[in-house]
Amino acid sequence: MGDLAQGYRRVSGARIAGVVAAVPSRKVTNEHFVPAFGESGVAEVTKVVGVLERRWTDEAQTTADLCFLAADRLLSNLGWERNSISALIFISQTPDYRLPATACELQGRLGLSSACAALDINLGCSGYTYGLWLAMTLAGQTPNGRVLLLVGDTISKTVDPSDRATATVFGDAGSATAIEADLVAPPAHFVFGSDGSGSRRLIIPDGCFRVDAALPESFGQRDRQKLFMDGPEIFNFTLRVVPQCVKEVCSQSGRAQTDIELFLFHQANAFMLRHLAKKMKLDATKVPMNIERFGNVSSASIPLLMVTSVADRIRGENIPVLMAGFGVGFSWCAAIIEFSKPRVVELID
Amino acid sequence: MSQFFDGLAEILEISPADVTAELDLTQQAWDSLAVVSAIALIDECFGITVDGAALAKCATVQQVQDLVDAKLGK
Repeated sequence: MGDLAQGYRRVSGARIAGVVAAVPSRKVTNEHFVPAFGESGVAEVTKVVGVLERRWTDEAQTTADLCFLAADRLLSNLGWERNSISALIFISQTPDYRLPATACELQGRLGLSSACAALDINLGCSGYTYGLWLAMTLAGQTPNGRVLLLVGDTISKTVDPSDRATATVFGDAGSATAIEADLVAPPAHFVFGSDGSGSRRLIIPDGCFRVDAALPESFGQRDRQKLFMDGPEIFNFTLRVVPQCVKEVCSQSGRAQTDIELFLFHQANAFMLRHLAKKMKLDATKVPMNIERFGNVSSASIPLLMVTSVADRIRGENIPVLMAGFGVGFSWCAAIIEFSKPRVVELID
Repeated sequence: MSQFFDGLAEILEISPADVTAELDLTQQAWDSLAVVSAIALIDECFGITVDGAALAKCATVQQVQDLVDAKLGK
């Protein structure tokens, strides 16, 4: 594959008013995996991926439930009237149903106006930054526009417990971000792209409507109803794409990489993030990580970082932040957003 | 080259002295985690990415070296 083209969009007139993330109360430590993979098997994966504990939902709790908790708290703490929301976007790969759209049910549960647009988007690792692009664009186009962006996943429900590469890595989380129109907000910058040639490298092949999709050799004899992740190929993809899109979004926004105060990367794998940071010559103190506490929480990883590792900085300072989501699809989106002290930044633990 | 061999030794958790071109990777912990680490090592040492499946199939350090050389156009 040659150079990957990057799309660029500049969005004006909207800001992030608040963000809340919710994690399940059930904590699963690495001890849980020792019977299946042995002490050394668990230690090896911990050394590379860096997860010490993660939160898992029980059977009854879904992504929509976590996002509902986050959204309910966010709207209450912002003091936003429920009927003032003009659009609800739900981004997840673990919706409640194959149909209807989970966003429609959440409109009802949250008591939003029937004039509220509600839609689902199927994206994972890149979902949060894509969602910000859409939500800020929508909010910025409408006077007093208010958009609720709900992003999360419960990937623990999709893994094969005997597959070390996925069973130990993922956690569950949901988030809600409130976006409002603000004519004087600094512009946000987005660079995104897709590479469908990697679509079957991170996939749950069965369970929808295509039957017998051809899979790469590395799929082996796995269960087609469970999550498959081709780690080496995904790593290669991130090495190709992430440094390039980080550079591009900085250049398009007119900022030097050194002007960025925080780099909020999708928390895929600690080893990979350290390697990427070194490759891009980033100051490690500007690249926060929380994968050791929560695992890879798919689309919710960036909002979960915002309300944990960097919550105090986001609450207290006006700072330019670069976010980058990359993975399943393959799909990626990097953004530079200038935070202007969001009023609510909370974790529901 | 020593940086590459030292890195391989760290990934395989063996002594750098034991990393030779003939080292039999099928007798080492050459699993998907090691392959991911080796992709990073090769990127760091040579500035290139190599195919994960091809790397996983390498049976000796020499074969890894051949894969890198082929990508570098040597």
